Amino acid sequence: MIYIYYLLVLGFLATAAIGLVASWIDRKVTARVQYRVGPPILQPLIDIVKLLGKETLIPAGSSKITFLAAPVLGFASVVVVSTLLWLNNINFNQSFLGDLIVVLYLLTLPSISIIIGGFASRNPLASIGASREMKLILAYELPFILAVLVPVIQSGFSIKLGEILNFQAQNGAIIGSLSGVLAFIVIAMCIQAKLALVPFDMAEAETELIGGPLVEYSGSGLAMYKLTKNMLLFVLPFFCMILLMGGFVFSGIHIFYGILKYIGLVALITVIRNTNPRVRIDQAVRFFWGPMTIIAIVAVILALNGL
Amino acid sequence: MSFIERFFKFDYLSNFIAAFVAFFSIITIIYSIGFMRGKKRQFAYYAYIIFTLFASLGVVFANHLIVFIIFWGLLGLLLYLLIGFGEKENTSATAKKTFIIIGGTDAVMLLGIALIWRISGTFAMDKLSIILNNKLAVYAYLCLAIGALAKAGAMPFHTWIPDTAEDAPTPVTAFLPASLDKLLGIYFLARISLYIFKMDAAMNTFLMVVGSFTIVAAVMMALIQHDLKRLLGYHAVSQVGYMVLGIGTGNPIGIAGGLFHMLNHAIYKSCLFFSGGAVEKEAKTTDLDKLGGFAKIMPITFISFLVASFAISGIPPFNGFASKWMIYQGIIETAKSGGYLWIVWLVAAMFGSALTLASFMKLIHAVFLGQPSQSREGKKPKIRETSIFIRIPTIILASLCIIFGVFAYQIPLKMFIIPSLGSKVQFLGVWNSSLATLLIVVGILIGAAIYLLGKVIKTRETKVFIGGEDLAKYPQMRVSGGDFYNTIQEIGFLKIIYKLAQKKIFDIYNVGSKITFGFNRILRFLHNGVLSTYLSWCLLGMGIIFYILLK
Repeated sequence: MIYIYYLLVLGFLATAAIGLVASWIDRKVTARVQYRVGPPILQPLIDIVKLLGKETLIPAGSSKITFLAAPVLGFASVVVVSTLLWLNNINFNQSFLGDLIVVLYLLTLPSISIIIGGFASRNPLASIGASREMKLILAYELPFILAVLVPVIQSGFSIKLGEILNFQAQNGAIIGSLSGVLAFIVIAMCIQAKLALVPFDMAEAETELIGGPLVEYSGSGLAMYKLTKNMLLFVLPFFCMILLMGGFVFSGIHIFYGILKYIGLVALITVIRNTNPRVRIDQAVRFFWGPMTIIAIVAVILALNGL
Repeated sequence: MSFIERFFKFDYLSNFIAAFVAFFSIITIIYSIGFMRGKKRQFAYYAYIIFTLFASLGVVFANHLIVFIIFWGLLGLLLYLLIGFGEKENTSATAKKTFIIIGGTDAVMLLGIALIWRISGTFAMDKLSIILNNKLAVYAYLCLAIGALAKAGAMPFHTWIPDTAEDAPTPVTAFLPASLDKLLGIYFLARISLYIFKMDAAMNTFLMVVGSFTIVAAVMMALIQHDLKRLLGYHAVSQVGYMVLGIGTGNPIGIAGGLFHMLNHAIYKSCLFFSGGAVEKEAKTTDLDKLGGFAKIMPITFISFLVASFAISGIPPFNGFASKWMIYQGIIETAKSGGYLWIVWLVAAMFGSALTLASFMKLIHAVFLGQPSQSREGKKPKIRETSIFIRIPTIILASLCIIFGVFAYQIPLKMFIIPSLGSKVQFLGVWNSSLATLLIVVGILIGAAIYLLGKVIKTRETKVFIGGEDLAKYPQMRVSGGDFYNTIQEIGFLKIIYKLAQKKIFDIYNVGSKITFGFNRILRFLHNGVLSTYLSWCLLGMGIIFYILLK
């Protein structure tokens, strides 16, 4: 029962709050880059509340339950992953719920929920967008798996998050090594793709597919997807921090460092998305299966040789 | 020593396999009552199914290699006969192809058994314990492994499975290639790898090469298929890779994962074929381009299919995830002894899982969701589930997918897998499936609560928005499932491999028949029917004989 409490407080409320703030930072920085003023800090929350108050439209002839259940599936998986990461980070001697592989698999669920939602819309634009999203998963999954192996190898073939953190607490962050830096580059690009941000936003492609899988969503369903995305903006960088940067340490000055690491990652994501154009899906697949995979393989080989 | 004790043996492993053989037989018979209704030669059909059940039990319990190979050969024959109940154009050719591949590998097995007799002088399986330290022993192992792999459908002996899936009746496909042949093939692989032979690193590597290659290559082929049952057939091949990989790791966790995956695979793949068969029965076709929008017509089938496809893609907390997770740990365990190859196995297995997910997303879009095809567009969607005999097995199997996933430790692992392995299984990682399920349910409840804060109750139906166009007027705008992954097909070296694969370069049956017919051509050249040619051959032969004799 105590875990449900953790889930509510850490997995849902804390994650949502941080995610909303991060999304505000992202929007504010983007606005400043484009010589605009940008939204007030509560704007992301206001957006979601506003959407919840709107009427929910369902495309004719579609499977209504699938259409409405898909966003909840993605949301639930993000909440669970977030709880898992929090608890493993707070108390890393006691491993909770699942390990690295579990997190990897749970992290694909938000994308799957978007894909199924798009399919259920019965709209050709949504179908095209969803198929691109799936191809994007295929593209980044290969280098992502390889890059994630770097901390596994360095910490002596451990797939428990707690042991990876413990290793870093004793031997310094993994990003300090050469293989760690390479793994970080790959993971950062994969996070960009997982968040479906420019340059990898071809699934939604507002100017071309009118939002892709989200084209038929309005009101509550759209609110749920927006909330999930904002929460992912916390969960994915947090996962990267746990793997490569020693996680979030709750003592003294380390709290400040932790916040700094997180803001740095969000800033990196924002900068990448503001300085790049959207690429085509085949370019993205080539990019991930080509250079990114090679970098990841090099990182793994370096890690196996202790670098 | 009594007759039964001499030829048969009952241990944990064989009991557990036999229990599931019986279970799948019963499920298939129930399903067949619904599916085969009105088909010809029903009596023979059910008789063959029951013969198959008995032959499989014989294979599982046999403790004498000759008894074993008799039952095993009988299974190949029954498979041939059962495929013959299909009503497609190519059914007889497929049945022949299957019979040649299975029969040919059975002959190789017989050779292996002869080699075992040469090495140890006994046929009793429980007395054998052969160390792979000489060439003969290695050949014997390889011969037996080839038979097991062909039965299970690992590459390169897989080509009969997709063809069978397309041409045989659906319950037959679900019964034999998808469940029973996997159970038996992997059972025998486990039997020879764990008990009869003492495995060494080289043989383990051989199994892992076969396993990881099968996973990726078969699932890549599945991605581009246009036929529902053929696509599922390629997955029946791809999943074998995980089981072989698991057994090839050679450590308890990996082997347990491989056996667990075998069980899970039989469950979800039967479920997928059963639901696919229900759609086939309703739509009268399995062409992905002609299906679509069935979620509205067959909601129960859709949910079963969705559960099973999540299970096969390894989405937690379904059963496929638990077994894949164990196999990954087995691979990481092998990493501790050094080397680089384990990365290839691990990446092949994990990336194969993503590819599996991709091809099932394509199926779900093409069959159940998405825009319905033109031929069905006009019909009003109303619920038309097929007969109850088709639905019940599907529902049972889908619930097993959930139960075996959520209570992975309490039910399947504790009751079937670990006792049959005999050794203690040490987990590297953590996966608390019951708690995770509870938390996911709570997460869904929170999501539902957020929904209720909004105006989700009051919904309104609208026409889909396609930039102002009308889908009915421009049917070419419909996105069918068929060419979902064309972009991937066009990328670099994949394009070449796909082209070669479509020319059946990698089909062992096709290559074999080309070689055979090549020999025929030479012989045909000699036998041209002209009397004078024959006479001159006779004279030539006589001349050679005289030369040898008189020399």
